[in-house]
Amino acid sequence: MPQKIRAAAVSFLNAWPLTAGLERSERIELVLAEPSRCAQLLEAGEVDLALVSVAALTKGQYDIVPGMAIGADGPVQTVVLAGEQSPAIWDEVFLDTASRTSHVLAKLVLDAMGVHPKFTPAAAEEGLARAKGTKGALVIGDRGFDVRANHVLDLGREWTQLTGLPMIFALWAARPGAVSPEDVQELTRAAQHGLGIRTELAQKFAALKGGDPERYRRYLTQRIRYGLGPYELQGLEAFLERAAEKGFLPPMPLRFVDDVVRKQRVRRAVSLDTALQKGADGERLDADEAELLDEKAPILDLGLAADMRRRALHPEGLVTYIVSRNVNYTNVCTTACHFCAFYRPRGHKESYVLTREELTQKIDETVALGGIEILLQGGLHPDLGIEWYEDLFRWVKAKWPVINLHALSPEEIWHIARTSELPLETTIERLIASGLDSIPGGGAEILDDEVRRRIAPLKCSTDEWLTVMEAAHRQGLKSTATMMFGVGEEPRHRVAHLLRLRELQDRTKGFTAFICWPFQSANTRLTPGDGSAHAYLRTNALSRLVLDNVPNLQSSWVTMGGGVAQAALHMGCNDFGQVMIEENVVSAAGTTFKMDSEEVERHIRDAGFRAARRNMRYQLVEGARE
Amino acid sequence: MISTLAHRALERDGLGPIRDRVLAGQRLSEQDAVRLFEATDLAALGALANHVREARHGDRTFYNRNVHLNPTNVCVASCKFCSFARKDDQRASEGYTMSLDEAVEKVLSRRPLGITEVHIVSGLHPDLPFDYYTELLSRIRKAWPELAIKAFTAIELHFFAEKFGMSYEQVLRRLMAAGLDTLPGGGAEIFAPRVRRKICDDKATAEQWLEIHRTAHRLGVKTNATMLFGHIERLDERVDHMRRLREVQDQTHGFQVFIPLAFHPEHNMIGKAFPKPTGYDALRTLAVARLYLDNFDHVKAYWVSLGDRLAQTALAFGVDDLDGTVLEERIYHMAGATVPQALSEKTLHQLIRAAGRVPVERDSLYRILRVHGPTAAPSPVAVSA
Repeated sequence: MPQKIRAAAVSFLNAWPLTAGLERSERIELVLAEPSRCAQLLEAGEVDLALVSVAALTKGQYDIVPGMAIGADGPVQTVVLAGEQSPAIWDEVFLDTASRTSHVLAKLVLDAMGVHPKFTPAAAEEGLARAKGTKGALVIGDRGFDVRANHVLDLGREWTQLTGLPMIFALWAARPGAVSPEDVQELTRAAQHGLGIRTELAQKFAALKGGDPERYRRYLTQRIRYGLGPYELQGLEAFLERAAEKGFLPPMPLRFVDDVVRKQRVRRAVSLDTALQKGADGERLDADEAELLDEKAPILDLGLAADMRRRALHPEGLVTYIVSRNVNYTNVCTTACHFCAFYRPRGHKESYVLTREELTQKIDETVALGGIEILLQGGLHPDLGIEWYEDLFRWVKAKWPVINLHALSPEEIWHIARTSELPLETTIERLIASGLDSIPGGGAEILDDEVRRRIAPLKCSTDEWLTVMEAAHRQGLKSTATMMFGVGEEPRHRVAHLLRLRELQDRTKGFTAFICWPFQSANTRLTPGDGSAHAYLRTNALSRLVLDNVPNLQSSWVTMGGGVAQAALHMGCNDFGQVMIEENVVSAAGTTFKMDSEEVERHIRDAGFRAARRNMRYQLVEGARE
Repeated sequence: MISTLAHRALERDGLGPIRDRVLAGQRLSEQDAVRLFEATDLAALGALANHVREARHGDRTFYNRNVHLNPTNVCVASCKFCSFARKDDQRASEGYTMSLDEAVEKVLSRRPLGITEVHIVSGLHPDLPFDYYTELLSRIRKAWPELAIKAFTAIELHFFAEKFGMSYEQVLRRLMAAGLDTLPGGGAEIFAPRVRRKICDDKATAEQWLEIHRTAHRLGVKTNATMLFGHIERLDERVDHMRRLREVQDQTHGFQVFIPLAFHPEHNMIGKAFPKPTGYDALRTLAVARLYLDNFDHVKAYWVSLGDRLAQTALAFGVDDLDGTVLEERIYHMAGATVPQALSEKTLHQLIRAAGRVPVERDSLYRILRVHGPTAAPSPVAVSA
C-alpha cells in the first residue's frame, strides 16, 4: 500500500456520510478541522485534499473529486438568515465566519430580493444575539437547527426557488495531481458506506450533541443531497456564474480529477500494426494502443485480430446462447436519462409495477419455452424498499426452483441500498440470501464521468457502478459488463470504460461476459452519435482485444439484427446472447429484431459454428437440444 | 493492401494459394470460388474481397437517386419464390394494372426529387398490348428527357418476343426507339436447370436470359445481372451461375454490376420450407462474387433486401454500390421486407461515411455525378503479396 494521502474535512453532521467511511481507510488519512481551517490546510499543502466550501475553490487551482458533494435541492435547514424583522427592511447582516460560500449565497439571495444591507463579520452567537430590529444574521452549520427567530430564511430553499436548481455548498477539492482514480474510488466507497448508515450517524450525533435523532435522520436523508451529477453541476455553475457577475467571487473554471488525469497523459507514438499484432496475440494493450486502434484501425483488421483472440480463448468453435426472459418489473424511474424511452414518472398513466399474476404468467411461459433464467430489471422506483425485492426473490425461487435470477443492475442495487438506508454490502448480502443468483451489467452506458454527467444526469457515477460490481463479486456473485456507445463520446471515453472494467476484473474475476451495443435513438431526447453496424463491429472487436481477462463476448442481435451479429461472431464474439422473450427497454427505442431458439441456432450454424445452450455462468446446459 | 493480420489468417485457413492468385490479378477457378464459399473465416474472406474493391474503387461508394415503377403485378408465370405476382387484376386477388396515365404520372410526380433513373419491372401480363410498354417509355422519355430509363427484365423481354412474335433484337430495338436506356438484371434467379425446374419452370431459361443480355450488349445497351440466392440452390450452383455471367461478360463487357439478391420467404410458395438466408450468407456471397467476377466493375448490396445495417457492413466485404434511394419498392416489401420504402440521400451518406467510405452519386451508366467529400484514389492492383 502506498503512503496514505491526507484529507481534511469539517466535523459538521452533514459531512459525516462522506467521511465516516474513511475512518478505517488504508488509503486516506482523515484530519478534522473547522471549515476555514480546512481551506487553509489545503492551500498550505498540508493536506492533499479537503472537503471545502465551494468559494474556497478560488484559492488555488484545485481538482474537484467527481460524483459527490454536499448540497441541497430545496430547504437545507443549516444555512439560514434569521432576524426579528423581515429581511426586506434589513440594513445590516452579521455574517457567521464559518463559510464564505454561505456569505455569497446570502448576498445573492438578498440581492435578488432587492435588499442591499451592510455585511459585518461576527461570530455566530454574537451575530444572532445582535439580530434585532433592522439587523439580521447568517447562521450556518449545526447551530441552524436551533435557531428561533421571527423571520428565518432557509437559503437552500431560496436558491432553488430563484434558479430551479440545487445548491452545492461543499465538495472534495484536491491539490493538482495529488489524487489518483483509485483515491476517488476510495472516497466513493466511503460515501457509499456512509450514506448507507445515515440512521446510525443521526443517532450517534444526537447522543453526542443532544436533539432528536429522527430530525437529524430526515436532515441527512431528505435535506442534504450528496450526489454531484450533471444536475448538481448545473446548480454549481449557476452559483459561480451569478457570484462572478455580481463581483462576489472571481470567475472560476471547474476542473475535475478525471479531466486532469486524462490531460496529463501524453499519447505515445504507437504503430497501428504493432498494436494489432499485440492484440491478436493476446498481449495486454495499454490506453495509448487501445485509443489508436479505436481511432484508426480498419474494421477488418480489428475484426481479424479479435477473431484470433476468440479462437485462442474458445478454440472449440462453439457458440453459446441462453434461453431467458427479460422482465422489466417497473417502468417507474426517477433518473430520467436522456437516452431512455422506457421510463415513466411515478403516477404517470403509463406507469406500472408488475403484479404477481403478471409475473406468474411471464415466468410460466418462460419455463414452458425451456427458459432457465429471468433477467429482472426495472426503473428506480422510489417506493420499493429491500423488503419488496426480498419477498419477490423468495417467492420466485420457491415457486420456480429451476429459474435463475439474473437481476438488478448496479444502479438498482445502489438505489435499494439508499432507499432502505443500508450499507451496500448488507444490501447485497440480503439480496443473495433471498435468491439473487447474478447481476446484469446494465446501466454502465459509458463508464466515464465526463460522458455520464452529460447523458445520465441522475445516474450513479462510474465509481459507484464499479463499487457495486466489486462488492457483488467479493460476495461471490458473477455479473456481466456492458457498454452502450454512440452517445457522442470519444474514443478515449470508450477506452477508459474498457480499462476500468479490465482493472476491476484483474482484482475480482467476477465478470463472465461483456456485451456492447449502440445507443438507439427513437423516442429519446439524446442526439445519437455513430450507432451504425460498422461502429458496432469495430467497438465490439476492440473490446475483445482490450478485455483480455473477460472470458466471453456476446453479440447483440437484438439491437443489430442477425446478420451483423453473425459477422460479430467472426470478429470476437463467442456467444449469441439470449433467445429473448421480451425486452421493453430496447424495443421502446425502436428495435424490433426477434428470434426463437431454432432461428438463433440456424444463425450460429450458418455462420460456421456449433450451437450450444448455456446457463448464466456460461456452463453448457445438458440435453438442451432436443 | 492486405494487412499482416489478413495474411496470417489466410495462411492459417489454407487460402494462401487463392490469395496469391488474387494478388497477382489471376482469374479464380470455379473450385476456388466454392472453396471461398466454404471457408468459414468471414473476416479473412472480407479482407481479400476488400482488397479487390479498394484496388478498383478506393473508398468510393456508389449510389443513385432512383424510383421504382411496377406497372402491374399481374403475371402468368408461377415462380415459387415470388410474393408479388397475382393471377389477374381482380380486386379480390390484390392484382393491379396501372393505366398509362397513372404510370407516367407516378414517375413524373417524382421530378422535384432530383431522380436520375426510373427502374421499371412488371409482371407478365396476359392482355396488355406491346404498345402499352413502348408508349410507357416514350411518354416518360418525352416528358422527362434527361431521366434514364432502366426497364424490363430479360424475362419480360422474352415474354414480349414470344407473345408478339418478334425476335429479341426486334423487341429491344422497338423499346430502345421508345426510350429504353439500360436493362435491369432481374429474372436470372439461379441458372442451373435443376433449380429453375423447381422454382420457375415456366419462364425464360438460363440460355434465353443470357441471350437477351448478349443481344442488348451487342446493341449497345448496358445491363445488370442478379442472382437469387438462399433457397434450394447448392453452393456450386451459385458458382455455376456466376461462371455463366463471367463468360458472357468476357465476350461483351456489357454488364455494369452484379447484384446477389437474398431470397425473401414471406407470402410465397417456397418460403414455408426455406427461411431467409442469413446475413452471413449474404456477406460471403457478396465477397466471393467480388473475387470471382473479375470482369465486373461493380458489386451491389441491395439494401432493400439486406437491411441498412447489413448493407453498410457489406461495404467492407467487397461491395462498392448500395443501389439508390429506391422510392416505392414493392416486390421485396410484399415478401416481408421490413426496411423503410426509401432511404433519404442524407441517410445513405451517413451510412457510407460511418463505414469510412466516400459517397458518390452515379448516373444510370455509373458515370460519376458528384463526389461527396474527399475521396481516396484507387490504389493500383498489387502484383505481389
